[in-house]
Formats: sequence, structure tokens, C-alpha cells
Amino acid sequence: MRKSLSAHRMLKLGLGLAVLNGSALPALAHEALLTAQSADSLSFVDLDTMKESGRISVTGKPAGIALSPDKKTAYITAPDSQDLVEVDAISRTVKRRLHLGGGPLGIAAHPTRPEVYVADWYTHEIHIIDTTKLAVIGDIKVGDSPSGLAVTPNGKLLLSADRDSDAVSIVEVATRKVLASVPVGKRPFGITIDDRGTRAYTANVKSDDVSVIDIAARKVVGSVPTGRRPYAVALAQGRGFVTDQYGGTVTVFDQATLAPVKRIDTCDHAEGIEADAQEKNVYVSCWGEDVLLRIDAQKLLVTGKAAVADGPRAFGTFLR
Amino acid sequence: MLKRLVIAATIVGLVPLSLAGAAWAHGPSRQKVTETVEINAPVDKVWKVVGNFQDMSWLPVVAKTEGTGGNNVNATRTLTLKNGGKIEEQLDKYNPEDHMYAYEITKVDPKVFPVNDYSSHITVSADGDNKSTVTWWGGFYRGYMLNDPPPDLNDAVALKAVTDLYKSGLAALKQKVEAGG
Repeated sequence: MRKSLSAHRMLKLGLGLAVLNGSALPALAHEALLTAQSADSLSFVDLDTMKESGRISVTGKPAGIALSPDKKTAYITAPDSQDLVEVDAISRTVKRRLHLGGGPLGIAAHPTRPEVYVADWYTHEIHIIDTTKLAVIGDIKVGDSPSGLAVTPNGKLLLSADRDSDAVSIVEVATRKVLASVPVGKRPFGITIDDRGTRAYTANVKSDDVSVIDIAARKVVGSVPTGRRPYAVALAQGRGFVTDQYGGTVTVFDQATLAPVKRIDTCDHAEGIEADAQEKNVYVSCWGEDVLLRIDAQKLLVTGKAAVADGPRAFGTFLR
Repeated sequence: MLKRLVIAATIVGLVPLSLAGAAWAHGPSRQKVTETVEINAPVDKVWKVVGNFQDMSWLPVVAKTEGTGGNNVNATRTLTLKNGGKIEEQLDKYNPEDHMYAYEITKVDPKVFPVNDYSSHITVSADGDNKSTVTWWGGFYRGYMLNDPPPDLNDAVALKAVTDLYKSGLAALKQKVEAGG
């Protein structure tokens, strides 16, 4: 998972129509796309009104999600049917499906290449998918049961939280080679890279903490205690926000000092989490309660709630 | 001749079905169950029975509850079932003012209870002065975490086990509280 770097920076600089790396900036729709696993659906939520604005059928128990750099296309993993599903976010239609087999779950999109990466829980590899052909063009062997994936903002490195190896693989995108395996806490699940591409944060399901990785040094430089069973991490305003799946809370910490700031009571099975481009709000998908919550990233309060389809997971990047 | 044709048609009919079966419905996905019961008793009276993490005597399948940590977060308990099976659990959240606690199973043999990564909460809410509703919610995976589960450890079996437990447990709770005057 990674926040959209270019959109962030440009918005902060007020360069609404600037061009970075040759690609036009996405026009932000200000909506969330939630993979509703139990309902076999994708829910669209208008973030201005905090109301579900649409729902389409996506079969195969959708879970993981990544958006193309222009945010017009969503790539969704369906672990039950073992497929990758391509959804046109504008017309809200399923365009193509690719059967992968195995156990596809975690997913990330490359910032410039026409590629998405899908982690296979059972075969312990990452599939490289060419999004123009929607075909697998290669596999990268990583540690055991890779789950969360994230690409550095410069597109050079792909990081994989290898859940059952208690480690993070650092993969060089250009050569498809694993450069290092960095030991982290127990059972890392979600992984998020900061805007500058210097640090990665893993939510460690079994050790109830977040590991902080210095990506260049390829080592853990700190950890943060969380609530019970942390799932994923979002970054906003110099703080980290961690969904505590069993604790039903979001743990907030300071990115510089790694000191705990607050634990916010949220919802049952808080799962997918992402900050919006302005870093004004953080959005939390609640699998247990079938809602999307909005947390004010400055005030650290829950300020909005939208009912969505049954069992939203939104594991990955889901805001556009 | 007729009989043979029928058999042939059946086999032909089965082929697409089995092919479809090979392509879907095998990867595990998290399931959830919610069951509720209305009890003719005030919230406090119901909470007095269900609100002690260290006492699961209201649940008919449980023979014995042993644990440490009382009702504090991270407290543990081991349930010994009447059939001899054991379930180890941990308290994740305890909100007496909301009459709610959340817990998870930390260890269980799928033969005893066919689930994985099970977490749950029980809530008692007021329905006027003399009525309450108890909600028992669970989130879990089936007992077999790889693809192609054996029939006794698939999604349907896990769903049924949890649903049956909640239904029978809540019915027994209702009876116990209402009989207790």
C-alpha cells in the first residue's frame, strides 16, 4: 500500500495540472472503493457526503485492491475464485478477469510501469501482471505466505510482507531480484511506504506491533506497540494510523519519535486503512460492521460513517 | 436403452458442474455469523450472567471454565467441553458500561470446533426497562486454511458449527435468566 505520491506533492504545491514522470496527474473523484468480501461486491462511497453511491457485483470474495496510477482502474484479488479482477472505476464495470490459481490476496500497482503485483499466499511468490494484456509475465519467489505489497514512490523497489517468514522481502523491480529479506515482528500483514520512500511500516498480526524499516539500510529501526491484531498502516500528517483488527481500535503514533499518540475506538474488525491525498482524513474499512469510517487526521476523532455492502476489507489502496 | 441414455445425460450434465467446481469456491475467505435473542429481563440482570469472562456455565456445551486475569483485557480462559474438547480463549475488550466484551480463540483443535482465527463479541442491549437483546457475533475462517478443504472442514461446516453454538447458547441463556426470576 502506498499513498499517491505525485498527487500528494502536487496538491501540496498547488500545481493542480502539473505533470510528473510523463504521466498526467489523476483527477481525484474523492471516492472510496471497498471490496465487500461477504457480499461479493464492490461498494463505491462518495467521501464528500459519506454515502454509498453505487455497488457492483464482483464475485470470488474480493479482498485486496490496488488502483492504477491514473486511478481510473481498480485491480482486485478474489481469493475464493483465485482471480485478478479489473474494474473500470469510471463506468463502474468489470472489464476483465484473469485466473491466477493459488491464493491471491495482497496487491500493488507500479507508479509508472503497466504492472500490478499479486502476492500468492500458498505458492509463496509474487505474480507480475502486465496490465495492458492482463497476463502474468513473471513470478518472483519470496518468503512464506506473502500478504501486503507496496512499491516505493520512485518505482524501483517492491516490498512484500512475508507473513509466515516474519520478514519483508525487498525486490528490485527492474531485475525482479530479491535484494534482501529483512526480519520484522511476528506475522507481518499490511505494509505501507512513506512519501519519500525511506521507511516502510508493517502491521504485525501476532506480535501486536508495527515494525519500522529503513529501506536503504535494509533493517528495522524501531517498533510501535499497537492494539490487538494490527492489520494495516496509513500515514498522514507525520503520524501513523494502524487498524487493530481484534482490538476494534486505530492506534496512532508519531512517525518521528515512534511514540504512541492515541488509541481511537473505531469498529469491529477495522481492516483496510488509507489517508486521502490532502492527508486531511484517514478512512477505515470495518469488516465486522459493514461501514467505512472517516477519522479526522488532525483531531484524531471519528467524524463520519457510511454503510456499505457486507464484509468490506479494502486490503490495499482504495481511495481515488 | 432408455436407462443408458439417462445415465449418459447425467454424466454430461455433471461435467460442467465439476469443471466449475474446480475453478471456484475453494480459497478460504472470512465468514461471519450474528445471532440474537430477546430476553424478558433487564440488561443488568442478563449482564450479571454473561458478563463474567471467567464463567461460561450458561453455555450448555461447557463443563468447566478455568482462567486467569478476571475481566481485564488479555485475561485468558480455558473451556472444557462436556465432550472433553478444550478451547483456549483471550479477552480483547471489556466494556461493562456498554455491556459488551470481545474475545478470541487462541487455541482449538478443528475437530473440536472447525474454525480458524476466530474472534467474537457478546453485547447486551436494553429493549425498554424489562427486556433486553443479546447479540452474539463471530468472525472466523473455516477449519482448513488451504485450498480444496475436506468436506468436514469447509466453509459450510464452520458456519453451521458457529450458528448452532450461538443459537443453542442464546436459547439456554434466555431460559436460565427468565427462570431465575
